[in-house]
Amino acid sequence: MDLFFEGLARAVTLLLQGDRELLRVTLLSLQVSGTATILCLLVGVPLGTALALTRFPGRGIALGLVNTGMGLPPVVVGLIVSIMLWRTGPLGQLRLLYTPTAMVIAQCVIALPIVVGLTVAAIQQLNPKLRLQILGLGASRMQLLWLLIREARLPLLAAVMAGFGAVISEVGASIMVGGNLLGQTRVLTTATVMEVSKGEFGAAMAFSVVLLLLVYTVNALLTWVQQRGRPL
Amino acid sequence: MSAGQIEQVERRADVANATPHVEVRGLVVRRSGRVVLDVDGLELRRGEILALVGPNGAGKSTLVTALALLERPAAGTILLDGEQVDWRRGLLAARRRLAIVFQEPLLFDTTVADNVATGLKLRGISGREREPLVARWLDRLGIVHLARRQARTLSGGEAQRTSLARALVLAPELLLLDEPFAALDAPTREALTDDLLPLLRETATTTVLVTHDRDEALEMGDRIGVILDGRLVQVDRPEAVLAAPANEAVAAFFRRRRPAAPRSDAILHSSPT
Amino acid sequence: MSRRPPAGASHCARPHCAPLLLPSLRRRGGWGVRAFFVLVVSLALAIPISAHADEPRLLLGTTVGMERSGLLEILLPPFERQTGRQVTVVAVSAPQALGLGVRGEVDALLVDATDDEPGYVAAGHAVDRRLVMHADEVVVGPRNDPAQAATASGLDDALRRIAASNSGWVSRADNSGLHQLEKRLWREAGLDPIGQAWYQPLGQGMAQTLTAATERQAYVLADRLTFVERRDLLDLAVAVEGAPELLRLYHVLVVNPLKGSWIDEAGARALAEYLGSADAQAIIQTFGQERFGRPIFVPDAGRTEQELRPASRPAA
Repeated sequence: MDLFFEGLARAVTLLLQGDRELLRVTLLSLQVSGTATILCLLVGVPLGTALALTRFPGRGIALGLVNTGMGLPPVVVGLIVSIMLWRTGPLGQLRLLYTPTAMVIAQCVIALPIVVGLTVAAIQQLNPKLRLQILGLGASRMQLLWLLIREARLPLLAAVMAGFGAVISEVGASIMVGGNLLGQTRVLTTATVMEVSKGEFGAAMAFSVVLLLLVYTVNALLTWVQQRGRPL
Repeated sequence: MSAGQIEQVERRADVANATPHVEVRGLVVRRSGRVVLDVDGLELRRGEILALVGPNGAGKSTLVTALALLERPAAGTILLDGEQVDWRRGLLAARRRLAIVFQEPLLFDTTVADNVATGLKLRGISGREREPLVARWLDRLGIVHLARRQARTLSGGEAQRTSLARALVLAPELLLLDEPFAALDAPTREALTDDLLPLLRETATTTVLVTHDRDEALEMGDRIGVILDGRLVQVDRPEAVLAAPANEAVAAFFRRRRPAAPRSDAILHSSPT
Repeated sequence: MSRRPPAGASHCARPHCAPLLLPSLRRRGGWGVRAFFVLVVSLALAIPISAHADEPRLLLGTTVGMERSGLLEILLPPFERQTGRQVTVVAVSAPQALGLGVRGEVDALLVDATDDEPGYVAAGHAVDRRLVMHADEVVVGPRNDPAQAATASGLDDALRRIAASNSGWVSRADNSGLHQLEKRLWREAGLDPIGQAWYQPLGQGMAQTLTAATERQAYVLADRLTFVERRDLLDLAVAVEGAPELLRLYHVLVVNPLKGSWIDEAGARALAEYLGSADAQAIIQTFGQERFGRPIFVPDAGRTEQELRPASRPAA
């Protein structure tokens, strides 16, 4: 238990001191995972909505894949993305391996099925007649999508939080495609693992505490947005 | 006849001479391969209220969704002001001349005022222009005091008033009402129809009202349309339908098993005179 | 869209109606939420997304232990300045680094997998292999040395004594360079520890293995650097040191450019040259002096494995 408090104390001290390394690592975590989540939102919510509303051959298979994708181990994603980004791989020309961009890509792959799957559920849970009513009010297809998404905003925000939570806390993919390079691709999770393997449990705890604080803050904000104007 | 009845008959005569506003020809709708609706012809005069009746599953709602251009018919045409509606082009513009209200209010998860403003926002009407319109229709439907309320907190009657305001604020040329009062209790229903009818008259909105309540049909409709098994078997003024039902099924629909409880303001008597 | 003027509508004429109505119709809180999201998005996208490598990168595969020692942070910058190349250190395990070399995913290697390297070169994965430095490893154990390993006649004898005692032996067992060295030592001592009751394979890194050793008061083969760093946390002492077999040799390998056109052969060869240069060797020699009071690595440029470990036999 003392280790936990040591880590907590150290985390607070470092944060108050504005420790450069800690701040840089934290900022990068936020940026990488934040970007990945936002990209997933922009792609995943419309995709999920379309998947929920349209019938096409193979829809069942697509849904099955999405739901399976929600459980993809991050390290497997990291391996696959690495192979793609290797210099010998199909996307090797882009020279993205060991950069934050590669981490964003890998995290997008991790979060996308989650966002799409939860979006499908959120849209399917809407009253099926709502679509007719919206069209009956004179909505274009884009306006229909927008209104449905707005109607499902509560579960959709939950989907955002789930996606963000999944990627901010993953380490397998980040290590494989990022390499945990000091000052370049080191994020809170990879730094924690590194400290653990060095036996520096106190430092590892400090990073963990900061990570938890970060996750809590972001989710608290999103929860506030989600629950605004709904006393009960 | 009471003064109200006379007024109604006079109004019906007025609209009888107007040119056809909405026309349907050879409309066929299929679901899962089965023909669920087959209407050879139907004409609506501008400002007319058509009450559509029939047993459950007869095809009333289908006709209304087809008229609302929400379901593409297997065959047939719909004309607005003599122009044929093209399902490939200009559909959105045509849809925006109509409005539909369902049995469920289907309100959005926001305030009443926001709900009512939805259709206007979809059409790109600016906030400044929207506000007075929304305010006016909230007032006309008696829900001004609910403007800031969240839609999900409303009672059934209040919600349906909101849904009606949301449709009427758009000043639709054709208003489609699919059993809008079916889920409401009798007093609420009566209050709503009492409020709605004058509004429809005043704005001369061509209306198709689907109802399974024959009293409502007789009360609200300038004409009554009877749908049985997907076919429009009779369209005529209420007195005519009562006096000369097209077939036994129609007669059965309007026949009463027992006399209605006498009301002091009853508009129609139970048996045809 | 045609609008019909209200004909004699009963609108609320009372004065309180209008002001009550109009504010209620304005969107509330809309701007706050929008501002929040703009802030979040711009913060997120300030990420160095364009930070894919613009300058030429030389990918050097090495071990986690080597990277962690901190030597590379001092050793590489002069090279980077001289050649204008940015060296990206890919720190993984020794077998993983070799694997990356096979695929041509790195340009050069700096590893301690001495047993595997000759075969590696013979198979054509690397075209040059030079000894850079060595570190000496130690066998540490309980302070009272119950197996009497410190007084043994040699490393082989010490290992046999440890095997025979009931103190136990903890092993990294993670296929790292150190673990491969350990396996070689057992071989040369004529012992097969696998499956024996006193042999405890962990599959973990050095720090954790040392922790386990001190918990169980067992013997363990450790790299001197980690042991020295963690000495205060451990209740262990050096039992055997200085034997030639305990030298961990680091070689730099140049990956075969035939693997692909992207291999920076010139850069890798320049790095190999540099690591053997007087400047680099001087840095290696003094590294660790301040922090630990003694150097960690011994520079070996120009020498070969055979000179340092004449008695060692290559893996069977």
